Amino acid sequence: MNFTITRQNLHAGLAAVSASIPSKTTLPVLSNILFEARDDSVWMNGTDLDVAVRIKVPADVKEAGSLTAPGKKLQEITRELPDAPVEVATRGDQIELSCGRSRFKLNGLPADEFPTLPSISFDDAWTVKGKDLHSLIHHTSFAVSTEESRPILNGVLWELRDGAMRMVATNGHRLARMSIPAQSSDVPSADFIVPPAALQQVQRLFKDDDTLEVSRDGNHLGFRSGSAEIFTRLIEGTYPNYEQVIPKDNDKKAIVSKKLLESAVRRMAVVASDQTHRIRLTFEDGRVHLSVLTPDLGEGHDELELDYAGEALEIGFNANYLLEVLKYMPTEEVCIAFKAPERAATIEPVASGGDAMDLLCLVMPLRLLD
Amino acid sequence: MARRIHILPDAVANQIAAGEVVERPASVVKELVENALDARATRVEIAVERGGKRRIRVSDDGVGMGREDSLLCLDRHATSKISHAEDLKGIRTFGFRGEAVPSIAAVSRLTMETHDADDEVGTRIVMDGGRIAAVDDFPRQRGTTMEIRNLFFNAPARAKFLKSVSAETRAISEVVTSLALANPRVGFSLTSDDRVLLDLAPAADAGGRVAQIWGGKDAGSLVSVTGEAGGMEIEGLVQRPDAAQPGLRRAHLFVNGRPFRSANLIRAAERGYRTTIPHGARPWIFLYVRVPGGEVDVNVHPAKAEVRFRDDSRVEELVETAIRAALDHEASAATFDSSPRGPSHPMAVREPPPREAPEAQMALFTSSMEGSPSGDAGVAPLPVVEAPRPRLWQVLNTYILAETRDGILIVDQHSAHERVLFQRLMDAYEAGGQTGQRLLFPLTMRLTQAEYRQVEELGGLLGRAGFEVEGFGGDTVIVHAVPNPHPYFDAERAFREMIDELTHGSELVRSAKNQHERIAMTFACKGAIKAGQRLSPREMQELFDELFATELPHHDVHGRPTIVRLSAAELERKFGR
Repeated sequence: MNFTITRQNLHAGLAAVSASIPSKTTLPVLSNILFEARDDSVWMNGTDLDVAVRIKVPADVKEAGSLTAPGKKLQEITRELPDAPVEVATRGDQIELSCGRSRFKLNGLPADEFPTLPSISFDDAWTVKGKDLHSLIHHTSFAVSTEESRPILNGVLWELRDGAMRMVATNGHRLARMSIPAQSSDVPSADFIVPPAALQQVQRLFKDDDTLEVSRDGNHLGFRSGSAEIFTRLIEGTYPNYEQVIPKDNDKKAIVSKKLLESAVRRMAVVASDQTHRIRLTFEDGRVHLSVLTPDLGEGHDELELDYAGEALEIGFNANYLLEVLKYMPTEEVCIAFKAPERAATIEPVASGGDAMDLLCLVMPLRLLD
Repeated sequence: MARRIHILPDAVANQIAAGEVVERPASVVKELVENALDARATRVEIAVERGGKRRIRVSDDGVGMGREDSLLCLDRHATSKISHAEDLKGIRTFGFRGEAVPSIAAVSRLTMETHDADDEVGTRIVMDGGRIAAVDDFPRQRGTTMEIRNLFFNAPARAKFLKSVSAETRAISEVVTSLALANPRVGFSLTSDDRVLLDLAPAADAGGRVAQIWGGKDAGSLVSVTGEAGGMEIEGLVQRPDAAQPGLRRAHLFVNGRPFRSANLIRAAERGYRTTIPHGARPWIFLYVRVPGGEVDVNVHPAKAEVRFRDDSRVEELVETAIRAALDHEASAATFDSSPRGPSHPMAVREPPPREAPEAQMALFTSSMEGSPSGDAGVAPLPVVEAPRPRLWQVLNTYILAETRDGILIVDQHSAHERVLFQRLMDAYEAGGQTGQRLLFPLTMRLTQAEYRQVEELGGLLGRAGFEVEGFGGDTVIVHAVPNPHPYFDAERAFREMIDELTHGSELVRSAKNQHERIAMTFACKGAIKAGQRLSPREMQELFDELFATELPHHDVHGRPTIVRLSAAELERKFGR
């Protein structure tokens, strides 16, 4: 293998790929990047065995070939190189870099030791706008579970339908659901449960105005746009029936400034128990009283004015869940709706003119024993 | 008319009295050794033959007696120890009834040799079945020797009830051991048929005496107990929970230096151990209670084996709290190896340190280095380092290592978290209950019939633990809310395992004293973070802080240690420094 590449192209490619490389691994070849030079470009591949990233950069290829080389080291070297063409060549299992008067030889590993990436055909792909995908990921993926006992909840449910797509994430205590209209395509409906790590790479590598192709092959999902490809393993299983648990009859509604509520909850959270983070909200005509009482620590009280006309209602929440949900609300005002203190509360954005975003979050209450 | 009622001759009266005081050879030994101790002996030698049935010889280096006293002491109710009824309230000596020696003399062949410092020559008195057979001059150093031969030779009914030689020997050995523990500064020896059973030089304290009797290893497993309340004081040694074994218990109680038995106090001591030892384990307990004279009545039992406190419950409470406080102390944590730590000053009264996480090694640069080094204005001020906290490492995703001023603490994360969760739930029960997180997807579980009944029975308490359970008909339950003790908590699995253990029982469940504890223990055991769980530095710090905020940070609910200490001294020994 022998090619010449601009420092900028080499650096951009390495930076894009190296984020997919695991920082600690028992399999040494995973800390390497696979270089494949052919025609007029070089493909760089990195993977942690769950998610794989593939980047193509233009290069002047003198001799086609492939080799793996230490990713982080190459990235660090490239960052410090002068702005001049870089010549990359292999000698046996070593990779040689020359740029100006700088010379490096790094020990690599043969390309055939690198894991084979799934080969996914993008012939019958769904097409998705980068902006739409980003918005869905941003507003829902925070809600995935990190607890290992229910692996299915460790992924984000992505539903592709004719004319719409939707993402749902939950950890069983709170849930986020968002839908976006999508241009119809001929490909059939599909549901994927995608690990959030793959969605992070999607957010990182694709731009809002990219048009992505998405394709599935068996247990793998591929994303492609321009010179970047991402492959991920899907989480297998049936996602719980979330529609069934989203209340339709929450009739006690409060409209409140997101910013004011957020900062009041944050103040209460300081005094809340480190384990339960429990705070108490009492909704009354035109106002909400927030309070927290933690044995061994103390108590706090606060009050906000808001638009509430339902019956008085007292409900407990994990302050962290509430804050997370509020954080991802896109509007200045939000609508919180309840049925009863032991039932799920829903939180939705309140659009001030224009189209409302179809976003719904749900938080399960904490029981108030006293 | 013939008189039917008459006064018994002295000999018969003494034989009857002997029946109360002198039950068996061991009681003779007890009375004689106590007399020796009352005579301020510094060394007491006891020799017995055939379990004391043939011969008992107790000799001391105490004050001894003159001729007159020695004759008088053979009379009933002759005593040097009290003179008025009021004296009974503040008894500081072992004997006081003046019953022992005449009673023993009445049922044996007794030889007494004694000499006090004032007389020129000693006295020897020989008695036979309570009658004086001879009184001679006898050369002897200061002190008294009592030799009892053929005990119960004239009371065959009682002789018949004596047990085997080995059983009687064992009883004697126990009596001497108990008295030796009560008086660690007195030397003791006990020989049985020329075999030396005990040979104890005067010891500095009770810990030293325990080491003499049972060896340093067992002595090293003891931690000191001190406590004080309302004029009563308690000192002593109790076994570290991790060393407590089922089976033979060594429990010795002393009040004002007098051994006594009390099942209630032993139970109080065990309450102090609650949740730190497995069910059935019998920790060793050596407790020395000191109460003002009026607080205890020792004149309850002829052999003085039992005493009566004016307020039993206060003594029990003192014992329980003192033991609990001792187990709370870091010294009760398991040590790195089983080699003795040596009870260097086990009886020394120590202020228990304020409960807080052990401090870390001081950092090289601390905030005490105030201001910037003098000189050039260009030098930036030293960064202010926060108060040093233990630096924590996780090892094998199972243990947390912390550096302390005196070495290393190794904390078992599962055990530590068990203790934390137990405490948290018990506290929550007191305050009403533990918060339950309502579930978006309630858990549906099929149970066996027995499990279902158990859940029904415990419903309220489970609810207050955060588990909101509803019957769903048949043998299925729905769990609507669960506690959320940590981010890795698997509620379904924990609940299943809890119900299984609560239904089918286990050592843990049996060791609980009530339903609250049963649930808190199983919740702690099943809900605690597991070994193998990777923890972030913040999580480790939280666990560490919470552990040291519990009542008994050194032991988990199974009685296993949560903390193992590796002291600088142990490290130095390992490296041969």
